[in-house]
Amino acid sequence: MLQKTSPEIGGMGHSVKRKEDLRFIQGKGTYVDDLHLPGMVYGHMVRTPYAHAKIGAIRTEEAMKLPGVLAVITGHDLEKAGLAWMPTLFHDKQMVLATGKVLFQSQEVAFVVAEDRYTAADAAELVEVDYDDLPVLVDPHHALDPDAPILREDRQEKSNHIFHWEVGDRQATDGVFQSAPVKAGLNAFFQRCHPAPLETCGCVADYHPATARLTVWETSQAPHAHRTLFALVAGLPENNIRIIAPDIGGGFGNKVPIYPGYVCAVVASLQLGRPVKWIETRSENLQSTGFARDYHMTAEIAAERDGTVKALRVKTLADHGAFNAAAQPSKFPAGLFSICTGSYDFAEAFCEVDGVYTNKAPGGIAYRCSFRVTEAAYLIERAMDVLAQELKMDPAELRLKNFIPADKFPYRCPLGWTYDSGDYKAAMNLALGKIGYRDLREEQQQKRRAGELMGIGISSFTEIVGAGPAHTFDICGIKMFDSCEIRIHPTGKATARMGTKAQGQGHETTFAQIVAQELGIPVADITVEEGDTDTAPYGLGTYASRSTPTAGAATAMASRKIRAKARKIAAHLLEASEEDLEWEPGKFFVKGAPSKAKTIQEIAFAAYTNIPAGVEAGLEAVHYYDPPNLTFPFGTYICVVDIDKGTGEPKIRRFVAVDDCGNIINPMIVDGQIHGGLTEGLAIAFMQEIAYDESGNVQGGTFMDYLIPTAVETPNWETDKTCTPSPHHPLGAKGVGESPNVGSPAAFVNAVVDALSHLGVKHIDMPITPWKIWQILKEKGVSE
Amino acid sequence: MANKQHVRVKVNGRDHEADVEPRLLLVHFIRDVLLLTGTHVGCDTTNCGACTVLLGGKPIKSCTLFAVQADGRELRTIEGVAANGKLHPVQEGFKEEHGLQCGFCTPGMIMAACALLEQNPHPSEQEIRWGISGNLCRCTGYQNIVKAVQYAAGILEKQNQ
Amino acid sequence: MAIRIERTFQIQEPVESVWKFLCDPKKVASCVPGAKITEAVDDWTYKGLVRVQVGPTVTDYKGQLQIERRDDQNYEIEIIGKGQDLRGKGSASMKMNGKVSILPDGRTEVSSVSEVNVVGLLAQLGARMINEVSNKVFAEFTANFRARLEQERVCGGTPPTTQSETEEPQPIDAPRLAMSVAKESVTKLVRQVFKKSDST
Repeated sequence: MLQKTSPEIGGMGHSVKRKEDLRFIQGKGTYVDDLHLPGMVYGHMVRTPYAHAKIGAIRTEEAMKLPGVLAVITGHDLEKAGLAWMPTLFHDKQMVLATGKVLFQSQEVAFVVAEDRYTAADAAELVEVDYDDLPVLVDPHHALDPDAPILREDRQEKSNHIFHWEVGDRQATDGVFQSAPVKAGLNAFFQRCHPAPLETCGCVADYHPATARLTVWETSQAPHAHRTLFALVAGLPENNIRIIAPDIGGGFGNKVPIYPGYVCAVVASLQLGRPVKWIETRSENLQSTGFARDYHMTAEIAAERDGTVKALRVKTLADHGAFNAAAQPSKFPAGLFSICTGSYDFAEAFCEVDGVYTNKAPGGIAYRCSFRVTEAAYLIERAMDVLAQELKMDPAELRLKNFIPADKFPYRCPLGWTYDSGDYKAAMNLALGKIGYRDLREEQQQKRRAGELMGIGISSFTEIVGAGPAHTFDICGIKMFDSCEIRIHPTGKATARMGTKAQGQGHETTFAQIVAQELGIPVADITVEEGDTDTAPYGLGTYASRSTPTAGAATAMASRKIRAKARKIAAHLLEASEEDLEWEPGKFFVKGAPSKAKTIQEIAFAAYTNIPAGVEAGLEAVHYYDPPNLTFPFGTYICVVDIDKGTGEPKIRRFVAVDDCGNIINPMIVDGQIHGGLTEGLAIAFMQEIAYDESGNVQGGTFMDYLIPTAVETPNWETDKTCTPSPHHPLGAKGVGESPNVGSPAAFVNAVVDALSHLGVKHIDMPITPWKIWQILKEKGVSE
Repeated sequence: MANKQHVRVKVNGRDHEADVEPRLLLVHFIRDVLLLTGTHVGCDTTNCGACTVLLGGKPIKSCTLFAVQADGRELRTIEGVAANGKLHPVQEGFKEEHGLQCGFCTPGMIMAACALLEQNPHPSEQEIRWGISGNLCRCTGYQNIVKAVQYAAGILEKQNQ
Repeated sequence: MAIRIERTFQIQEPVESVWKFLCDPKKVASCVPGAKITEAVDDWTYKGLVRVQVGPTVTDYKGQLQIERRDDQNYEIEIIGKGQDLRGKGSASMKMNGKVSILPDGRTEVSSVSEVNVVGLLAQLGARMINEVSNKVFAEFTANFRARLEQERVCGGTPPTTQSETEEPQPIDAPRLAMSVAKESVTKLVRQVFKKSDST
């Protein structure tokens, strides 16, 4: 049980106002592009307009003639240093600068360095590249055709097939399907989209020849991992590399990979001995950096006539673009997609995924989704609605019937995960009550009789976050623990550093709240720092909602180590034995004599001035936390939509989000995360796609076409919570930042399909634009 | 290289002059020449509004104006919003109502909000949403930003009483 | 971005002079806004430039035109054009089949079927517009074609070119075209919605 602290201390559960806000509201944040270093020069990437072509000559003379141009680096130059290719985060390699051929539109071909931004851009236009087109492959369904162009000639196996992965019991599952009275399923495409954080990716690489030290300010969600990879790949000594991730303007997974721009900036800085800044434009960001999703999925559910689900069968085709640059744990080519049995008690399940190459931007990163959990949750929540439609059963009733019961946790699902805790019925019932479900269904009946279109969509997702235990999880071999180091100063203030790196999640406040909770030091007296590899303990960074489950736990554990030492010091100061002391947040006191007490501040001072015999001076600790399991946040989202028959426009009338992330550190911050994630889900469901035409031209490569919702399109989100603590986490907390992006797309799609189901509509692929709906209305003969 | 032109701009109450290329964007003038890096660049198609500043009191996207177009005029950026170290009610509102997360859209939002409240001291929720519709945010879902502006409107009303 | 463009227009000129004009790439290029032939390699191969502007994007395609087939008997011509953008922004290729025929009323009809493929920045930014822009370009081409042929007939010989061969080709100004294109698209849509017949 966590003791509640006072608002002045601000421990768990308090909506403490954020400490990081002060600099941001005054425009005093330090984002990478804000850096101006003496002698700094600018890099600009030359990119190919062709999706698949052989490279002939690259002529750089005209570019070099332009006054102010310092260097033009090509793949040929990098080849000499063994850097033309670099390893991806997932068992593959990718070109830093193209050699031999280009494989996707906007791929990096040359890097120009000049004294100022504009000159670098001018020079980039003067670089001449000869291309010979090759046939383009953009449809992953044709990637394995016998006559498909082979994209990766660098690989031994001349095929566009990357991997096949399967989990579960195929035979047992097929057996259940054979005898099941009811089978329902769907083909669902989760379209390629992009995290599009408002700040694009970039870096300033600063190599000092005099000290042989390289400092790179980078938009990186995982600075330590980047440092180690730079050391291994570039052969630079790791103790002479410093990665600083300063303030980052949103990440959402887009800032996990190492991009060619970073490598080129480093190479240029090594070459010139000057700081080199590279900041990509928005078009470059959308067209070449880590995209998300692009999963073509098929799900089938075998069930009894009364709606009891028995088995799930899933098959997926994963489009990874030109290189498998997926950022996910090394043993999971499809990430944690096998959470696709979701909140339901399936007896058997089988899931297989095949990944292929196409002439598109490389990747498959985790966009606010804990490695493919968004795809999995979307699939199962759509499939359940399809089953409900098939059985003519209410979708809420079908779910309630099949939820894993609250008393069955820890629950081992047929695809291998052990869910730590959950009470899905409680979340569902809260949501149903809050939205007034019964009345809405009645209203829907009335509206249907009057020819109006109204839909209710439910998504009862369970997700899996907090990667992860060392026995199963690593990225490029580095285990996915995380860390915290805390130092209490003589005057009772504290500095804490973690191996994670926030990009808006509020760690400077929330992690301080954890220390405040454990030690009773007020949040105002605790400074939290992340992102500088010279000072922060090693960690795997922030993405996949892993920070609270891993670094948050480490923070609690380190705090407890400090408390254990503080107890020794308190005993010495109070001349009592350690067993006779009791703790309340902020002080130790003698049992039965509460006036005989020492505050944590007094203890801290004593740690430097009045040290007990046999005890080291100082009051600090570091903890590296290996989570015993992942955490499984969940929730129920319900969306009510009205469709305009004239324009096909879907209007969100209400959206209720009930989330359960266990014990909450800062409710205000959690709600903010939910609002933001739901807005991303809205965009994905209704507005966004990075599509490619048959020549490999990107459609959706700028904000003119890749739409971000404004305040006008975004509805008010109604949030609520249930609380089912994680039994294995020191604070009972689970991750939550990604839940809204995981759970909401299905809620939106289910609502629209529900609005049209009486017309015979079973599924509509995202993005569900008014145009798509309008076409369906026309087809079904619905008139205004 | 094109001939440079001399520009004089008053920024946050102070006079600045520089010789710039005619094609230098105002946002680059602000960030790279004046070193006021609070104004941000978030896109290249004039969609996102992260670069919003006030030109003669009106909110404009500084990525879509040339520095030379601001010659002889007055600019206000995020650095000029707090007066004498005291936060503006809009800034307070953002802090009190959790109107920001990563902070990147925030300066542009605050400028847009200041301009909105200047023009319409008692905006409805819809008017606030329309008023900031030129500013994209990826983190907050706008809900708390709306609350921040309402908070500020309340403070400003009390101050004017 | 593959687009199929079919165009037909009628002209009150004798079929022989129309055919002769159509088989002269220099003369045809002079009717296309933003295009010019820079070199005649031989009777079948020509080098040229086409400048297209969509907003701030100026694409200068430099490439080659090849007359693949010419049937003077049946007045059929097949031309293949390929160009790459000088600034590395992409490429465009076109295969055009043109035919000239005599109509029962004595007028001459020119019909063409073109398959155009655009790769690169223009295909990203201008994708929506390419079809409509090509309509506008064709309208200008047709007007120029008619005007020049008439001038030839009237002046009896090669008329002064409307565009000097040493002059910079004026770019097809897509925003200007686009504005009138957008207006036309909206008008078309409105007509469709109200189920009035489309009178193009």
